[in-house]
Amino acid sequence: MRLRRGVLAALALLATTMGGLAARAAPAPAEIKIGTLYASSGPFASISMPVFDGIKLWVQQVNARGGVYVKPFHKKIPIKLVAYDDQSSTATAATLYNQLITQDHVNLLLSDSGSVLTSVAVPIAKEHKMFLFDVSGTGGTFFTKDNPYIGLMAIPVSTIWPKAISDFLDDVGVKHGIKTVAILYATNDFTGTQASALKGFLEKDGKVKIVYDQGVPTSTSNYTVLINNIAATKPDAVAELGFPGNDIAFLRNLQDSGEKFRFVFTIYGGAEMDEVLKNAGAAAMKDTFSYVPSALYQYKVNFGPTLPQYHAAWEKAYPKGAGVEWGSNAVYGYMTGLVIQRALATTSGMSQLDLHHAVFALSGKLKTLDGPFELNGEGAQVGELTPIGQLQPNAKGGLDLVSVYPPQFAHGKAVFGK
Amino acid sequence: MRKRTLLPDLALPALVLIAFAIGPYVYSNELMLFNFVMFLALAQGLNIVYGFTGYLPFGYVGFYGAGAYGFALAVMHLHAPPLVALAAGGAAALVLAVVLLPLLRLSGAYFAIASLAAAQAVYEVVSNPALENVTKGPYGVSLSAVFAPRFSYDVGLGVLAFAFLLVVWLRNSRFGLALQAIRDDPVSAGMAGVSVVRGRTIAWLLSALVAGLVGATFAWHISVFYPDTAFDLGVSIFATVFVLFGGATTLTGPLLGVLILYGVYNAIGITVPQYFQFIYGALIVGLVLFLPNGLVSLLTTRGIRVP
Repeated sequence: MRLRRGVLAALALLATTMGGLAARAAPAPAEIKIGTLYASSGPFASISMPVFDGIKLWVQQVNARGGVYVKPFHKKIPIKLVAYDDQSSTATAATLYNQLITQDHVNLLLSDSGSVLTSVAVPIAKEHKMFLFDVSGTGGTFFTKDNPYIGLMAIPVSTIWPKAISDFLDDVGVKHGIKTVAILYATNDFTGTQASALKGFLEKDGKVKIVYDQGVPTSTSNYTVLINNIAATKPDAVAELGFPGNDIAFLRNLQDSGEKFRFVFTIYGGAEMDEVLKNAGAAAMKDTFSYVPSALYQYKVNFGPTLPQYHAAWEKAYPKGAGVEWGSNAVYGYMTGLVIQRALATTSGMSQLDLHHAVFALSGKLKTLDGPFELNGEGAQVGELTPIGQLQPNAKGGLDLVSVYPPQFAHGKAVFGK
Repeated sequence: MRKRTLLPDLALPALVLIAFAIGPYVYSNELMLFNFVMFLALAQGLNIVYGFTGYLPFGYVGFYGAGAYGFALAVMHLHAPPLVALAAGGAAALVLAVVLLPLLRLSGAYFAIASLAAAQAVYEVVSNPALENVTKGPYGVSLSAVFAPRFSYDVGLGVLAFAFLLVVWLRNSRFGLALQAIRDDPVSAGMAGVSVVRGRTIAWLLSALVAGLVGATFAWHISVFYPDTAFDLGVSIFATVFVLFGGATTLTGPLLGVLILYGVYNAIGITVPQYFQFIYGALIVGLVLFLPNGLVSLLTTRGIRVP
């Protein structure tokens, strides 16, 4: 009996040793394949292309240094970016995600920007047991306890964003006489969820009353009638939650209408300031409020470049006039690259669950130019912040997005209209 | 009169079905194969109403979307098993087809545009935020509980077989001949004793049923989708172009249209997406100029019968 046990133990030891040898003998791949999609046309091109450009810039920088350090192989390995154009179509995106996994056999899978184009990747990645580096798909249904194959990289889940608006109105707005608010939102996953969350926060606190609440299709391009309807309810504050196209149309129509509200909020007035400024004009944006994106707020970092360093690299890679706009999405793509870089440098293996563990191990520890990186148990991003800023005139006659709330992030004071 | 055998009409679909049944074992991008199966069935469904009655519904995607949402609602609210929900998807498309029956009083471009408007109206209802508790509004549905890509792929093959059989039946039955008579000259057909209204109605319902079943299978296969996806006008456009490219009224025409054009679409989409619109547009312009009756007209104009 003892002999048999001894033989079994010896066999186990042999198997372990051989397993170790086999693992050690596994040759390092010539390249790490990262697969992703981008939308060069269609409704999501404006948020997708800057993300893709940010990823490309990260790949270019890493490869210029000889590749990305991959811990299981103890060496730097060049990255090969495999990317397809989904043209903003979910049907095409679904086929192409499959193509990346089943035909190109990519090592890492990144989703396209935004919830709609990420939505089809979630079940596909789960089915193929492939960890999905979800760049900015914030849909609440993506993150479930039974799916370890997803992690939201660059922006918080939609339900977290509007807490700052609600707190700002309650803490600061009420003191300045803001008592009523109108909420107008585009009915898509990202902004619709934000609108629901904002309503929930405001109703719970009960300090500011909602007097108008209307969802409109994301394709809405004329807000004239809606602005008149809002004006009829005499709100002190107006929160318009839409995509860049919605915000541009809303701000232009608001200026043309001559209606004035004491507080006007848009998401992309700050998040994609350059683009909105170019299309809506400074006069339409003056004194409006928005989230302060990581592209305009310098966080302390413990990994990767600081915001000014990255901005300089971006300007060098994509000079003004090249048709590539600097904005928060430019940070999101690059920041996702940084998470990948750190995860590959610390992972214990190259299996998809190893990558999951490596990414989740960074939670609460990693601080990049996009702010603190923190995932909840289901893979949703909860660490990054959404301070409130106001577009205030600067000395040069332009506009600066001045962070005004919360106090620890404030660089200036909010100015409310009369 | 020489008696015709059904063999050539049945052999072709059988070959296609066998090829797509083996497909996943040879080519692992199952979703791409599924899309082929889906468009093959949709093209045959559209062939039923366009090829045999001459009615071209630009809003054909309305039935497809109704099927997808019929499936989704049955799963979400009734917790129906997928095959029952599939039937619900088909039933939803049939109900919509019955509601839209008055459209058959129109013809030509008027009918095409009216059907498009109807599909858009259904989309607006489904995606209305006020119906979020019922349809999930514009925020999309997630059916991860019934996600079964392989089984749904096989069921998709079953739906394709059903669509093929319907077209084979129409091509070889008195009813199919009656429909073609209606298409060519409804007044003469009516005077010859053909029930024009009954014929068109049955073709319309069968066509809607196929689209509904395809939409339901799509919802099952992909499991996460938005109203924009289920009512994407691109689905209608693709199905229409495939039928016109290959040649309507035949079994082979729509089949060739899907295999060639959707094949080209995927090849371009993966290799040179920047030339997609150009290459696709050139193909269609070439077709309209030189082969207005589709590829099969190369044979049919020479007196060769094409299945």
